[in-house]
Order: sequence, then C-alpha cells, then structure tokens
Amino acid sequence: MESIFSFCFAVLIAPFLPVVIQKVKAFFAGKQGPPLLLNYYTLIKLLRKGSVYSTSTSFVFRMGPIIGCATSMMMLLFFPLAGAAPIFSFHGDVIILFYLMGLGRFFTILAALDTASPFEGMGAAREAFFSTLAEAAVFGILVLFFRLTGSLSFAEFFTGNNIINLIGAHTALLILVIVALYIVMLTENSRVPVDDPATHLELTMIHEVMILDHSGPDLALIELGAWFKLLFYSSFLAKIIDPFQLQNFWLNCLCFYAFVLFIYITIGTVESVTARYKMNMVPKFILTPFALVFFAIIFTMELIK
Amino acid sequence: MDTLFASLSVILAGGMIALLFAKQFTLMKAATIITTSAGCLIGLADSLSLLLSNNTEVIEKSWDWLHLFTLAFKVDSITLFFLVPIFTISPLALFYSFHYMGDGAKATRTAVNYFFFAILVASMALVVTAANTITFLLAWELMSLSSFFLVVFDYQVQENRQAGYLYFIFAQGGAMLLFAAFAILYKYTGNFDFSTFHTIPESAKLLVFILAFLGFGSKAGIFPLHIWLPKAHPAAPSHISAIMSGVMIKMGIYGIFRMYLLLDAATPLIGQIVLVTGIVTGILGVVYALGKQDIKQLLAYSSVENIGIILIGMGIGMVGISTKNQAMAFFGFAGALLHVFNHSIFKSLLFMGAGSVLHKAKTKNIDQLGGLMKRMPLTGKTFLAGSVAISGLPPFSGFIGEFLIYYGAFHGISNCRVCLILAVLAIVALAVIGGLAAACFTKVTGLAFLGEPRTENAANAKESGFSMTLIMIFMAITCLVIGVLPEPFIRLAFAGINDISSVSGYDTREFMIIVRHISQTAAFFIGLVLLLTMLRKLLYMKKEIGSGGTWGCGFTQPTVRMQYTGTSYAAEMIGFFRPFILIKNTYSGITKIFPGKTTWESEVEDVSEKNLHLCLVEPLLKGMNKFHWIQHGKIHFYIAYIVVAIITLLFFL
Repeated sequence: MESIFSFCFAVLIAPFLPVVIQKVKAFFAGKQGPPLLLNYYTLIKLLRKGSVYSTSTSFVFRMGPIIGCATSMMMLLFFPLAGAAPIFSFHGDVIILFYLMGLGRFFTILAALDTASPFEGMGAAREAFFSTLAEAAVFGILVLFFRLTGSLSFAEFFTGNNIINLIGAHTALLILVIVALYIVMLTENSRVPVDDPATHLELTMIHEVMILDHSGPDLALIELGAWFKLLFYSSFLAKIIDPFQLQNFWLNCLCFYAFVLFIYITIGTVESVTARYKMNMVPKFILTPFALVFFAIIFTMELIK
Repeated sequence: MDTLFASLSVILAGGMIALLFAKQFTLMKAATIITTSAGCLIGLADSLSLLLSNNTEVIEKSWDWLHLFTLAFKVDSITLFFLVPIFTISPLALFYSFHYMGDGAKATRTAVNYFFFAILVASMALVVTAANTITFLLAWELMSLSSFFLVVFDYQVQENRQAGYLYFIFAQGGAMLLFAAFAILYKYTGNFDFSTFHTIPESAKLLVFILAFLGFGSKAGIFPLHIWLPKAHPAAPSHISAIMSGVMIKMGIYGIFRMYLLLDAATPLIGQIVLVTGIVTGILGVVYALGKQDIKQLLAYSSVENIGIILIGMGIGMVGISTKNQAMAFFGFAGALLHVFNHSIFKSLLFMGAGSVLHKAKTKNIDQLGGLMKRMPLTGKTFLAGSVAISGLPPFSGFIGEFLIYYGAFHGISNCRVCLILAVLAIVALAVIGGLAAACFTKVTGLAFLGEPRTENAANAKESGFSMTLIMIFMAITCLVIGVLPEPFIRLAFAGINDISSVSGYDTREFMIIVRHISQTAAFFIGLVLLLTMLRKLLYMKKEIGSGGTWGCGFTQPTVRMQYTGTSYAAEMIGFFRPFILIKNTYSGITKIFPGKTTWESEVEDVSEKNLHLCLVEPLLKGMNKFHWIQHGKIHFYIAYIVVAIITLLFFL
C-alpha cells in the first residue's frame, strides 16, 4: 500500500519539482520566476491541444513519446521511493531497467530522425554519443554497488543490513559515486553544462531539438517522461545521501523529499553559476564520472576483504 | 545419430535436385527448397529432442575411410546446441531465397548456388559432430570451399571476385593455423582422436590453443582477422550473407569452445586472452559498423561486434573455470551460447531486410536511402524489430543473452584482483557496446527507413515478394517471443552446456525465478506501452490533427538532401575512437575568387586491413617476387621439382 502510495505521489509531484530549478535560477538572476504550478498548467494546456504532424513522419514518430514515457515510469516503479519498498523488484532488475532506458532513448532518437530535419538529426547524434559514454559510468556504479552490497536491485541497495548510505561504512567511495552520479544525471537529463534546456538556438541543443516537431499530448508525454527521469536520478542520489532510516513512513517520506528538493536546488545553482561546455568538451566531461567510479572500484580491492 | 545422417542425406539430395532440374527455374527452386528444408527440419527435430531429453549419454559413431583414416562422429550437448541454429536458419534462408533469387536468366548459376548451399549446411553439421582431426578438417575445408562458391555468385563483378579471393585466403590461412595446431597435437598424442588431446603436456597446450584460436578466429571474425567479413558479405547474395553471418562464423566460435574443452588446460591465460580479445573485437567491431554507410558492410562489422560479445561471455566462463567460480563459468558459457542462437536469428533477419532493400531500392548505401518505412512497411517494421534486438534492448531477444553474460560477469566480482578487473572491464565493455550498437542501429533504421527518400530509386521502392516478407515477419516475432518468454530458450542454452563436467549440476532454480521476473517485467512493459497508446488515442479523440512540413527552423526551402546523413551522424562518435579507426577526409579546397566545383569526401579505413597490408602482404609480395624465376611454365622442370622434393624428404624423414 505504501509502495503504491509513494509511486503515485512521485508521479504527481514529478512535474512540480523542475519548477524549483527554474525558481532557483530566477533567484540568481534577480527575477521572480514562474508560478510554482507552471508545469501542471503546461500539461493541461498540451493535453487539450491537437497535433500537427510532419508529412515526413511515420508511426515510429508517434511511438517515440509513448515508449520514452513508459520507460521512465518503469524506473519509478522499480525504485524504492521515500521509505517504501518499490512496487516491483527482483535481483538483477537494475540491468533490465537501465537497458529499458536505452530503449526509450532508441525510440526518441528514431522519432527525431523520422522528421527528416537536419537539426533533429544532429541532436539525435549527440544524444546517442553522450548517453553511450554515460552508460559506462552507470555500469561502473552498478559494479561498485554490487561489490559493496552483493545485490543487483534498487530495493536491495537500500534495504537490509548492508545498505548504501553516505554515513555508512564506505563514505569515501560514496563521495566519488555521488559526484559521478550527479554528472551522469546532468548528462542524461540534458542539463547545463552538457545541454541547456533554456537555449534558444537549435544548433546548440541536444534534447530540446530532438522534440521540435512534437506537439499536443505527444509533447506532454515527452515532458512527463523527462520529469520522471529527472526525479528518478535525483531520488537515486537522495537515497544515497539521506541518512535517516526512520520507523515512521511519513517522516521518512518527508526527509526523502527534502533531500530530493535539495538535489533540485543544487541543479538550479549549477545552472546559474556555470555556462554550458563547448560541444567538443562534453565527452571529456562525461568521461569524468567513469574515471571516478573506476577509481572507487580499484579502492575496493584494499578496502573490502 | 542415424536420424541426423538421414537428414544430411536429404539435405544433399536437395542440392542434387537443384542440379538436375536446373533448366526449369521455378520448379528447381521450389523442389530444392522444399527438399533441403525438409532435411533441415528432420535434423532440427532430432537435435532438439535429444537436447531437451536431458540425455547425458554421448553418442558416437565411426567408419573407416580410404583404409587409412577413421571418420569418427560424436554428439554431445554442445554439438546439439550448435546444430539448432544450423537447422533453423538454413530453411528460413532458403524460403527467403525463393523470391530473392528471381533472375531466371541466371538459372544454371542459381542451381549451382543451391547445390553449394546444401553442401554448406551438411558440412557445418559435420563440423560440429566431428570427433577426430581428419573428420573435422575434412568438414571444415568443405565448409570453407562451399561458402567460397556461394560468395562469388555474381562473379562478373570484379569487386565480388576480389572479395571472394580475400575470403578464400583468410579461410585457407586460418585452416593452415588449424593444421599446425592439430599437427602439434598429433605429435604428442600419436593419434587423431579428439578425446586424447587433454593428455598433452601443459606447456604445449597454450601454444596449441593460440594457434587454434587464431585459426578459428579468422573464421569467426575476431579483430584483427575480421577483414574478409565486410568484403565478402556485401558481395554475397543476402540469404547467403544471412547464413554465413548468422551461422557459419559461429563454427569458429564452436571450434574455439571445443578446443578449449578438449585441451582442458590449467593456465588462466587462455580465458584472459579470450576475454580481452572479445572486448577489443566487440568495441572496435561496433565502432567500424558505425563508420560504414553500406548496410551490408555495416551488418558485417556488427557481426564482428557480436562475435566479440560471444567471446566476452566465453571468456567470462573460462575465467570462471580457472578461478573455480562455478556461477561465473555457468552463466558466461550459457550466455555465450544463447547469444550465438539469438544472433543467428536477428542477424539473418537484418541481412534479409538489407537484401530486400537492395533489391527494391537498388542501393545499399544508407546516404542514398530514406523513407522506406512507408514504401516497404513490412521490411521496415521487421528491420526495426531486428535493430532493437541486436542492440540488446528489452523486450527483445538480444537482451536475454547479454543479461546472462552480465549475470556471470557480476558473479566474477570478488576479491581476486585479476578477475575483478577482468569482470569490470567485461561489464563496462558490454555497456559501451550496447550503447554504440544502439547508436549504430538507430543510424541504419533512422536514416534508411525513416525520413524522406534521398534518391529517385529509394522513392520508387516497393515491398518485396511474400516469401521474403513472411520469413522476416516470422523472425521478427521470434525475436520478440524470446525476449518476452525467454525461459525455454534459456533452458536450451543450459542444456547446451550440460556436458561440460566442471559446470554441470549447477543449481539454476534461483536464476529461473529471476528469468520469470524478467519475463514479467517485459510483459508488464509491453502492457504499459499499450496502455499509454490507448490513453494517447483517447486524448486525440475528436481533435484536430493537421499535417505539414517538418519545422525547418524558419527555413522555407528545405530539400531532402539537407537531411542528416549516416556520415555526419557517426562522425563525432567514430572520431572519438581515433587512432583505432582511420578517417580519411579529402577536400578539394577553394582556390579561385569565384570558386568552382568543390568536393569533400570522408572515408573510414580499417586500421587492421591497412596494417596487415603494410606489414605482411607487401613484404611477402616483395620476397616472393624474388622467386619468380622458379615459375617458368616448363612442365618437365616442374616434374623435376617434385622428384627432388620427394627424394629430399625421404632422406630427411
């Protein structure tokens, strides 16, 4: 019951959280920022609209948003949000989930290429390249977590007596992981300094340019998928940082979302104080987390006997 | 075993029928396809029933041949497992060929092609059943030669002949290494029997294995011995590419696996060599695949990549055995075998799709295709399914094999340093290969099948004949079924390694629960997608749906040539892997004030091909040219050479 509640709550709150980033950015810029419920308004607006499809597109273009949204939802279904156990979980689920994420990307890229637009093709090429590099870091993290806990599922990472937590036994290693995962999160969710969701020039975009031709409910599905994905990554980070293992579900929930909120605020801060990298710098930036995680794995040779 | 030989006789009879009825084109095709396929189905039924009966009994049979040699055959679980793709893919490829080989003017040649096809199938079955050196090499050579004739079907085209010769050189060069390996074995054991190979001294085992690894590797296409693949596959007819890439190169894998098991060496080096080769082959294979614009060349490089994945699995298994890690060994081997099976299906599917495109759009070049999804919907959809499967993405079949390998590799993460590093490398390599493969196949599907057609030919393409599309639909569905209901197929792979004594008896019950969960997850995911699709339908009800041109960021005069091309899509990614990949750009430059015609060309060169040419072929040719005087065309001198050679040999031996 708690699991279903926290899943539903996550789905409901996912659109709200990105506004926090915008608010933080507005704060740094000395502006008032958008209304807190902006994304809900956007969602309702999009859902009420019809769509205009490019004559170049086929059914793949319409499948892209659906599969993208479904794969992000799968991540939330398998992740132990707040204090509750996830709705589904089994040993080995992390592998299939990150591969499902790959499936979502596969169809997003195809949908972009389906429009025959040179800009969308360019965005697709970048997305394919950068996410491959990020994948190496993600699987490095999985290896490290397996080494620490002997498990291959999100639920097992954070339950039982050998849990992954910053104040646990492996603080040093987890600091490296947190930095790495943070960079992966920025990459996978197209945030500054890899991609700029607020840019106005198509040539410099990655994710935003890929969805130029989507409109109406299709675009709503894409946006929902992106919000879920960001929530998943920040929950992952929050779970590692969150030191409180309280008996009370509601208090746990509160702590967890406080940390999630904290992650969103840091994203906003990062976006306010840094500019995006030049495209040729991005691969080097994305390889950093892999290097960090690889170091962490090597450290485990001595630390874990 | 008798059933197996009966099925081989039927297959060969099918080949003979092709020669007999060569004049009646359609009848010949139908008769030979039906007979050969019937033979394959008998063999398939037999091997599947033996494999799944959990019969640990090993069946042996032998005959004397030419008074001197014994032809020995033996069937164990590994043999049976490899027989399954041989007998599954062959009939499918044959049915596909009914419409593909549609040129009645080439009737005789087509008949010869079917004849060699039957020989290839039979010889592959013999390769995996052979139980001594003579039988094995005989079948191996038969396989290489028959496939050579299949490759040079269109021999009038010079490129195809060259590709055929290159394949021939690699096949025979590889065979020479195998002869060397078997010669060393014979020197120690004094007989040809496979079962005595483990008795040779430990010090010789590594050498024998490396020789055999290179020999078999040149067939399988390990890096850097893969050069023939991207040349031979574009030259061969598509159903031949399908059977060669889907099944025949796996005979190299079978050879490596068999040799490893026969030698039973204690040195951990063998596993490490195989694993590292697998990683290099996998990553570079997919990088080169990304760099190629010719669909069939790209698929050939992707086969190299998949051979890499299979070798990673096998290497994980071998490292597991050398470190006494049973789980690692079990899942590594099982994953490798399952990937052999899965790859045979989706790679054949993709080659058939490529053949269908080549037939109807008259080109294999991605940069000249586009928009085929609307013009060839069945080919397009099945190709899409194959692309998802080969990228290893759930809920399709490719993921299942990779999951087993991942599972084995994760079990290798322990306190032993070497295996920790190797396991980490394997896992990260698999992840990177997966990502790059997805990039590679979004490129093919996205640029060749989606968007707008880039040339007249692509715009006028029509759907292929039913024998081609039906087979592709069947294979695409199989890919999905294996992905959603993997249990029987995983059991098949487990049954395949049943006869390996060091891993047999591993308790798989725990893992089967995971498999059931994967199956449920895949089904749930499909359900979720369907749910969202219905929701989307609901949201679009009674709404205005318009259509217009793609948003060109304000540009009002777009042309189809402005689309992203395969070259530009891959440029950044392959540039990242320099200097392991050579990118040759030629730019004519702008010289005058009013610039004339300027050109820019970009080509990806295979680093191993170039180096092999530079370091081996050129010096060899130079040296050989010095002996030109021996070849003068005077027969009586040649006879004298023979006599002298025999006399010298008699004195020295």
